Amino acid sequence: MRRVNLSLLTVPELVERFTACGLDQFNAQWHGNIGKYNCLYDEAVRIKDELARRPGDERTALVPLFDHPNPQVRLNSAQWALAVAPVAARAALQILWDRKEFPQAAHARQSLMALDEGTSRLI
Amino acid sequence: MRVDIVDLEWQRRLALRALACALSELKCLAAETRLDRAMRRHALALKYGYDPAQPRVPRGEPEGGQWTETDANGNPLSKRPKNDRVRLAGDWPSNNPPEPLDDEPKNFAKEPATSAERTSVMKYIARRAVETGVSVAVIVGTARWLLLRQAEIVSYNDPPASLEDLRKAASTPASGYDIHHIVERTSAEEHGFAREAINHPINLVRIPRLKHQEINAWYQTKNAEYGGLSPREYLSGRSWGVREAVGLRALRIHGVLK
Repeated sequence: MRRVNLSLLTVPELVERFTACGLDQFNAQWHGNIGKYNCLYDEAVRIKDELARRPGDERTALVPLFDHPNPQVRLNSAQWALAVAPVAARAALQILWDRKEFPQAAHARQSLMALDEGTSRLI
Repeated sequence: MRVDIVDLEWQRRLALRALACALSELKCLAAETRLDRAMRRHALALKYGYDPAQPRVPRGEPEGGQWTETDANGNPLSKRPKNDRVRLAGDWPSNNPPEPLDDEPKNFAKEPATSAERTSVMKYIARRAVETGVSVAVIVGTARWLLLRQAEIVSYNDPPASLEDLRKAASTPASGYDIHHIVERTSAEEHGFAREAINHPINLVRIPRLKHQEINAWYQTKNAEYGGLSPREYLSGRSWGVREAVGLRALRIHGVLK
């Protein structure tokens, strides 16, 4: 994914880019390309930070992605919007775990356990 | 001189007889192999409902010889019903087709080129078997590369077990399973932990092979709960106790450990 100046993008453009990141991560994982997956993780974090920086914390724009058909997009959006929509995000993580959508289900379960234990780094 | 000639002739005949014997054995083996293959084909055909009495399109028709259905009078139809397409190996049963995501394979007859892709397809099949209630054997069909890996696919859906059971199972290797180190072996060795501790039975569990691969990948992927580090990076320089806690958590979140 080409690196761009995120501050020049609108919120819908950022959300679109965030979604593309998740889809590319899904494909990278499918093909066993962990290096690419990790690079895309960094890009998703950059987008999340840019959304958080906008007035009123625009991470709420990620909430509609909780229903995205792709499990990686749902995982990313639920983890990075947990601070602004904790109930809905938690429900999205729980669905990933209940449906056993591995490997994303493992990350979801990890976040759910950390939330229960009060050790989550996502809030 | 004559004795030598007789001797040579005798040796020639012996050699010819030995060759004939070997040839006969080879023919026997070839016949056995043919029979074995025919039996397998027959077994597969029976499994998919082969019926030698099933009506065929009459000779001379464009689709002559193909399976068909009968009309009201019991005569074979001259054309196969249009929706009765040939079922390819790995095709989904038509009565319960799943809805694959984009980029996911819809036919498994062709073996993917890389190990990672093969693993992904196997996990996909295992998950679909649970979601659709269709057995792994039916989904796999006659895709040869998957038939050889059925044990791995089936074991992926094992329910979570207790730590005691997983440890106990480590003493009996089984097809479709791997012996897994709770505290990662390579990383622990690199950080100077004793081999006796690393390979101690208390650190060993038997887990489904595809789960093992999934956990190995998880250790390498960046993780939001470890501040963006991969679990392996997070564990660098940490104690045995922390490594063990992360190892047990990895088993739990992957649905291996209760």
